[in-house]
Amino acid sequence: MSVTINTTINGKAVSASAGASTSLLEFLRDTLEMKGSKLCCNTGECGACTVIYNGKPINTCVTMAADAIGAQIITIEGLADGDKLHPVQQAFIDTGAVQCGYCTPGFIMSVKALLDRTTKPTPADIEEAVSGNICRCTGYNKIVDAIHLAADKIAGRA
Amino acid sequence: MEYFEPKSVGDALSLLSKHGSEAKVIAGGTDVMVDIKFKEEPGCLVNIKKIPSLTGISESGGSVRIGALTTIRDIETNAVIREKLPVLWEAAHQFASLQVRNTATIGGNICRASPSGETLTPLLVLEANAILAFSDGERSEPFKSFFQGPGKSAAGVKGLLTEIEVPIPPAGSKGVYLKHAVRGAMDIAMVGIAVMLTPDAGKNNVQDVRIGLGAVAPTPLRAPKTEALLRGKPLTAALIKEAGALAATEASPISDQRSSAENRRWIVEALTRRGLEQTWKAATGKEVA
Repeated sequence: MSVTINTTINGKAVSASAGASTSLLEFLRDTLEMKGSKLCCNTGECGACTVIYNGKPINTCVTMAADAIGAQIITIEGLADGDKLHPVQQAFIDTGAVQCGYCTPGFIMSVKALLDRTTKPTPADIEEAVSGNICRCTGYNKIVDAIHLAADKIAGRA
Repeated sequence: MEYFEPKSVGDALSLLSKHGSEAKVIAGGTDVMVDIKFKEEPGCLVNIKKIPSLTGISESGGSVRIGALTTIRDIETNAVIREKLPVLWEAAHQFASLQVRNTATIGGNICRASPSGETLTPLLVLEANAILAFSDGERSEPFKSFFQGPGKSAAGVKGLLTEIEVPIPPAGSKGVYLKHAVRGAMDIAMVGIAVMLTPDAGKNNVQDVRIGLGAVAPTPLRAPKTEALLRGKPLTAALIKEAGALAATEASPISDQRSSAENRRWIVEALTRRGLEQTWKAATGKEVA
């Protein structure tokens, strides 16, 4: 049984059909051909598929595509303004916070959601914000550096 | 697979009556979506998230009522929960990850009826009630009799959990939720323990104490013998030691990939002692004698 998904992704209205048990991640990657959100654990544990859903970071692999109906969704594809990267993306490059890169889109979406809430995150805020994102290259220190740098850039402190 | 989005509790109950055990209720989906992918697709999926009356937190008449569709994050960030039900707040705060807390609902955590469900031992020690809707009416079921086994609850296949009613604990009582897991985030508890302690007026004796044990039996459970041992007595180091050992005997843990049964009993003992020390100190301002 299929469902018509009318939703807004990165500010653009989208309409497409999806199977009732299709995950939002499958809908993004396979129906809409948006491959930036990554399929990894597929059980909601690793955060590689994180998008911002009505302002909040969620795991799309355990969200029904049908729950996108009427929602506002931001994916990694929606961050850059043309060739100009979002400050969080640029900070990950500037601090070398990327190793294999597979977890990076998910981390960047969690960090964007954090910095949308506050541009002065405490160490506890940062830990909480990315506690659901796993980097198996284990490059966490540079990711934390990137978060501080991005916060400073967005707040005009750097 | 058939798919429905009922707009009212009545419509949802009609669907559950019609489809029986073929039907699976889905709310946040953080558990059900995994089952669909890795176990099997149900014959019929009933998405209850479009029912508006099932979300929200309100306080009245000495109780807090939480709609079954309220997310764990909404519980964690709610001022009434933080102030009046801190033991539930602690469980919400330690729940999975931010992404999961933004999606998962308290009703889903309860109806999953996993022995390790994070919010379940706090609800047991808070002596909360499940408000269940059936096609022939509504009833209130205390959580102490709600859980019947892993994945099995008093809601059955035809009932719907609509609300959780939590009596606000008496002034002066203190609660704590302690979780033992390998990783801070995104890990299932080897053992989870909730303790709620109320001292007497002179702050000399334990007037009431409630201990909830999680992940150490087919359902979350209370430790009635340990509670009876402690009531009416001053909380001494010797009594705490005895209580920890007794609590370990009230658990019936299994060995699995997360922990051996023997280790789980040790953790029950240690966390019971720690929970009693912490709540006694918080409630009386005194160290354990």
